[in-house]
Amino acid sequence: MKKFALFFCLSIVILTSCKKYLDVNNTPNNPLAVPPSTLLPTTTIALAFANSNDLSRATSALVQHIAGVANQTAAYDVYSLDGSFDNQWTGEIYNGAINNLQILIDQYSLTSPAYSGIAKLEMAYVYSMATDIWGDVPYSQAGQGLKFETPRFDAVKDIYEGNSTKGIVSLFDLVKSGLLDLSKTSSLKPSSDDIVYKGDLTKWQKMGNTLLLKLALQLTNVNPALATSTINAVISGNNYINSNALDFEVPFGASVGNQNPLYSFNNLNRTGDQMLSQRLLNLSRSINDTVRLAKFFTKPTGTFIAFDNGSSSVVPLQATRSRYNTYLTGISGEAPIRIITNFQANFILAEAALTLGTAGDPNAYYQSGMKASMLKVGMTQAEIDNYFLTNPTVVTLIGSTEQKRQQIITQKYISLIGNGIEVFNDYRRTLYPVLSLVNNPSGDNPNVIPTRLPYTPSELSRNPNAPNPRPKTDVKLYWAK
Amino acid sequence: MRKFLTLLVMVVSTTIAMAQNKTVTGKVTDEKGTPVANASVLVKGTTKGVTTLDDGSFSISVPVTAKTLVISSVNFTEQEVAINNNGKSFLIKMQGVDNNLTEVVVTSLGIIRDKRSLGYSTQSLKAEQIADKGEVNVINALQGKIAGVAITGASGSPGASTNINIRGITSFTGSNQPLFIVDGIPVSNDVDRTNGGPLGTLGDNQPANRALDIDINNIESINVLKGPAAAVLYGSRAAAGAIIITTKKGGNSKGRADVILNSSTSFQSATGVPQVQNTYGQGSTGIYLPTSGNSWGPKFGSTPTIANGLLVGGVPVNYQAFPNNIKDFFEKGIILDNSLTVNGGDLKQNYTFSISNLNQTGILPNTDLKRTNLKFGANTVLRDKIKLGGSITLTNTLQNGILGGNGSSALGVLAGLQRSVDLTSYKTNGNYKNPDGSNNWIIANQDNPYFDAYENPLKSNLYRLTSTFNLGYDIAKWLSISYRLGLDAYTDRRKQIFAVSSARVPNGQVLDNTIYRGEVNGDLFLNFKKDNIFAKGLNFTGLLGQNINQRSFQSVYLQGDGLAFPGFYNVSNATVLTNGSFESSSTQRLVGYYGQASFSYNNYLFVELTGRLDQSSTLPSDKSSYFYPSISGSFVFTDAFKIKSDILSYGKIKANTAKVGRDASPYLLANTYSSWGFGNNVANFSFPYGAVAGFGASSRIAPLTLSPEFTTSYEFGINLGLFKNRVSLDITYYNTDSKNQIINVAIPVSTGYSSKTTNIGELTNKGIEATLNINVVKTRNFNWDVSGNFAKNVNNVVSIAPGIDNFGIPGSAFTGSIPSIKIGYGYGVILGGVIPTSPEGQRLINPATGTFQPTIANQVLSDPNPEYKLGFTNNIKYKNLSLGFTFDFTKGGQILSFTSAIYKSRGAWIGTEADRDQPHLLPGVIQVGTKYIPNNIQVSPQTYWQALGGLQSEFNVYDATVFRLRELSLGYDVPNSVLQKLKITGIRFSLFARNVFYVAPNAIIDPEVNTQGAGNIRGLELQSAPNARTIGVNLKITL
Repeated sequence: MKKFALFFCLSIVILTSCKKYLDVNNTPNNPLAVPPSTLLPTTTIALAFANSNDLSRATSALVQHIAGVANQTAAYDVYSLDGSFDNQWTGEIYNGAINNLQILIDQYSLTSPAYSGIAKLEMAYVYSMATDIWGDVPYSQAGQGLKFETPRFDAVKDIYEGNSTKGIVSLFDLVKSGLLDLSKTSSLKPSSDDIVYKGDLTKWQKMGNTLLLKLALQLTNVNPALATSTINAVISGNNYINSNALDFEVPFGASVGNQNPLYSFNNLNRTGDQMLSQRLLNLSRSINDTVRLAKFFTKPTGTFIAFDNGSSSVVPLQATRSRYNTYLTGISGEAPIRIITNFQANFILAEAALTLGTAGDPNAYYQSGMKASMLKVGMTQAEIDNYFLTNPTVVTLIGSTEQKRQQIITQKYISLIGNGIEVFNDYRRTLYPVLSLVNNPSGDNPNVIPTRLPYTPSELSRNPNAPNPRPKTDVKLYWAK
Repeated sequence: MRKFLTLLVMVVSTTIAMAQNKTVTGKVTDEKGTPVANASVLVKGTTKGVTTLDDGSFSISVPVTAKTLVISSVNFTEQEVAINNNGKSFLIKMQGVDNNLTEVVVTSLGIIRDKRSLGYSTQSLKAEQIADKGEVNVINALQGKIAGVAITGASGSPGASTNINIRGITSFTGSNQPLFIVDGIPVSNDVDRTNGGPLGTLGDNQPANRALDIDINNIESINVLKGPAAAVLYGSRAAAGAIIITTKKGGNSKGRADVILNSSTSFQSATGVPQVQNTYGQGSTGIYLPTSGNSWGPKFGSTPTIANGLLVGGVPVNYQAFPNNIKDFFEKGIILDNSLTVNGGDLKQNYTFSISNLNQTGILPNTDLKRTNLKFGANTVLRDKIKLGGSITLTNTLQNGILGGNGSSALGVLAGLQRSVDLTSYKTNGNYKNPDGSNNWIIANQDNPYFDAYENPLKSNLYRLTSTFNLGYDIAKWLSISYRLGLDAYTDRRKQIFAVSSARVPNGQVLDNTIYRGEVNGDLFLNFKKDNIFAKGLNFTGLLGQNINQRSFQSVYLQGDGLAFPGFYNVSNATVLTNGSFESSSTQRLVGYYGQASFSYNNYLFVELTGRLDQSSTLPSDKSSYFYPSISGSFVFTDAFKIKSDILSYGKIKANTAKVGRDASPYLLANTYSSWGFGNNVANFSFPYGAVAGFGASSRIAPLTLSPEFTTSYEFGINLGLFKNRVSLDITYYNTDSKNQIINVAIPVSTGYSSKTTNIGELTNKGIEATLNINVVKTRNFNWDVSGNFAKNVNNVVSIAPGIDNFGIPGSAFTGSIPSIKIGYGYGVILGGVIPTSPEGQRLINPATGTFQPTIANQVLSDPNPEYKLGFTNNIKYKNLSLGFTFDFTKGGQILSFTSAIYKSRGAWIGTEADRDQPHLLPGVIQVGTKYIPNNIQVSPQTYWQALGGLQSEFNVYDATVFRLRELSLGYDVPNSVLQKLKITGIRFSLFARNVFYVAPNAIIDPEVNTQGAGNIRGLELQSAPNARTIGVNLKITL
């Protein structure tokens, strides 16, 4: 009734304080500013979520790690990709990671470069995912709000190598700038909000240098000189991820809402959509690697139950299917999403030493990579030793350079199960391991394993700078073979 | 309705001889004895006169020489009465004007106006046109009866909201629902949605629009103000028109209380469910498969073999059709509606009291709606000058609903249910739950429909208080001052449960959602009235007012996830309380100043000017004030030119132009951050992450500045009464142009943001409305009235923002079928993938598969805007019997139906039955080089129908043309002779039916549904409840 009285009074007296009365437009629902310690966790999860959610499902199906048996993964499996990935482009990449990374860079480069340094490394990784998946993407003008309302699509070459006339900073320079920031004095420093390294900036330095290795390797077909010089510089700097303990992996939690997407999708919400690919099973069996495969995929009946990609035959009963195992999902979703790892670094150095002549012994790196992977997935030392003892032709690089390279990439292909994006990159760059078309292919070109993902409907409709009509999914990327 | 009114004027005069003057007193009533207030009593040949009081009485001092009084009032023909010198009373019967053309209507701010004086369109309905017809939601009761008003219910689920748009959509992203005014104060017709788990509002229960809380039994009349001109005095919020509801009041000249008892019982059943085949059962590719969601299995009666899956371990599978397994899921709904109203007192001191209770059991299991209204109102006149009145209405609405939507909901699973699944047995045996209480269903990641219905309900418990307070003081004959205060507030306590093991939220969830909305509205206004200013016959009424309005909203979500154990649905059982828990509040205020000046000349020429200045809290302080005017006029040319013809009895032309400003939603002016989350229903993450908080910049960029948006309109029309007004015709053309829209316009997400708030874009509506009323037969015992209405509206998105051709309407949508605003199209087209075609327009077939080529994204898939609408009502009365029925017809418009898609792709629809053993050919051509050859690649029937059964496919866009017998009622009034013996004023029995039948020639469902309910998203059916047919009886006793 107080309100009534108030209103009555207000109504009958002249409103002298009208301005004050109307000054109620300050939102109680959202803060207008937040500390950087609340932005960094968001960008880090964004990066990991993008890597392991729908983009992972699509690429894992395309590289035939998994077979899609229902709903969207089944469509991806047979190259039906059109119209998808809006949520990834939007919620995970540009609106989840890039914008907030840009805020960290813009607001903290001067005062707290620890944050801007980490942000630049994360940003380089996120952009590498985007350009590797879609090709030309908004980069130099992206993530800056009203400054560029229709960001330009930068060429893959320019994103990787830079283009001074267009004002495009290369991913390499972005990483290096981040590394420089990390070495500066910072007033605010991350601690528990750095959910990966808990504020240990030296580990971020190692992550950054390893990221340079990954970026360099992508250019082996098109700019071997830049790849070689970058990798040699990292090797001589000797400050990269060289033990499993240093892996850049984003932890997730066991509670509802904090679980990793591989778990939420496969174990909770879409338990019947995807399962082990028969083709991966065949490959794994051909090199006697099923002990490791069992870390990646379950055996509910004591044996692997797989499905051939795109097959129209009856799908095995759900309870019997081999699906992602706890290495990838955790028992309750707590497994980390592994972004840049020691085994990956070793395989990169092996391939670079082999094909680019960078420092080190390819075979040594190769074996270190295998062992690192096997340890990582939880094989015992005895199991690893036994594997190395009983499979000498697998664990040793043999034959021509190309044959050796195929061995390296095949090992990488298995080690990276769960990270479909990296495997898809390697496949398109090297065409290893040899994959054949799925059954009943469809999509833009049913005769070719897609070499990119289609642009998303929302960006196509909103951004006049988006290539329209979009490139078909059989158009190769700049660095592809 | 048409009235045949005779004015009964009783002038009981007492003459007191005085020197020059004498006083004549009397009373003016109509034939029923109801006093006529505000009637003008004038001494003939002079300007001397008085108006009658509320009880119809008057007292006038007249010169002794005066011979005649002229008595006039709206609704009645002017009448002359000879002044009787000998003081005796006398009676005069006058013929009233024979038509509703001269009815009075309630317009803006509760001003009662003679309809002839209006230069804009309104259309009104009386109690008998809406009550006692089995409708629960007042908006639905208007269906088919008002030209230019588009009404679509969400579904037949109890309490499901109903969308209403008047004269098309004028705002890109603002509310396009009209403003609801009850007894002079604005009341909420909002729809509050509560997330249905991770699918959000795409899979929620269908909540009510809050006009549902209004008790239809207590409505006296409804007037629909259509264009901006009509509603301009209400300001911004009436830019989409206004629905003015007047409730019943107490008091009559008899001074005796009326007691009205009303009781109705009706039954509901589901309609519009697609027909099913019952020849083939569960399975795929002709093989029985117990985990298949399809009915592409073997034919019933096939010999069991291992190959067809019907022989397992040497034992034949029990494989038979359950023809009614879908139909039997829907239940017989019951609506019991009882009310008691007491209207008492006299014209000065009166009261009204009513209590009503509605108890509806839905057509879906575990759904119901219970509404109780309690109202008390009273009015008094103090010292003959001060009018004081008020009312309080208390409403309690309980709504129990179940989930709909794509995927695992009860209705999602039920759609196209496998033909050989004995769903009913799960209910009768209660084994939709396993012994441990978990979901028992044949397919993983799906709920048993009964499990979902009984274990995952949404309960809403709303208390609402609506009160009005009026104070008026007649300062002078020509000046009065009034103050009106309104409060409308409700709290809706909701609880959505997801049982442990339910498909959408396997770990279980308890969601407590408390919603508060409150509106306080104060109007202070001065009324001026002066007759014969400047010249005889030129009358003036004026109004100056001030309005203060505050709207508050709060929604608090407490979401408990990860339930520790099943069966205990309290947040204390949750292990995570931070996932979806949040509070959202808003307050917005508005101060308005307004004025109106109306001139009438000799009761045939009318001109009216209005202006309003608003100040809104939601706009930047330097742009918070905005002014908008209107001018309207009408001209009764038959009176002006003294046309007296039995053919053309009445003729009026009207025209107006108006501008209405609209402010922004609260809190659009600043950039903000919010706690962050990722993903959707298949995988998601939300902060906080343990003890780590994660915020991110909101996806919307705030504007540098913002101005109000404006809609300008003009309309003109003609109103004719023919054949002694037994035929009346009203035709109106209107044009609205809405510019400078306040939009969160979509921008490329590569900017890091998905929208920016700005003023941009233009949207136009052009339309024509016509109403025709014919009194076909009129005799003492038999009366037959026909009324029809027609409306056509063409809506066009003229521009959006530079470089932007389209963007999605705010709200939830599935990627691939996004309700959008697209340049060159009507508002709300649905964009999605369309199959590419040859230059001749034939669809392209993929030569590798024989199915269609991949679709081209972002094309116009469906357009929900109809071509025109027709309504047609008959009322026939013979002695004490009355029969009424309303048909309506909607031509065109499209609906994208997920249900239809599912019935096809699952092989359940009856159309999938034929030629199952034959290979099929999809219609289309194959590109060979530059040529196109007819498709010759045979595919299986399953492949064929699945190619035609894509959820977002152009093949599931249906023409929503529908013809419907909307309502039918047959009433019987007990004759007076019987009533007198019983000492009862009135008894009326009626039988009624709603949604009696429909014909939708081009759709396999009833296309008049709209899953997202009231709001700007239209033409989408996302596996929601079907419509309901209602049949019932009503008994009304007036004591």
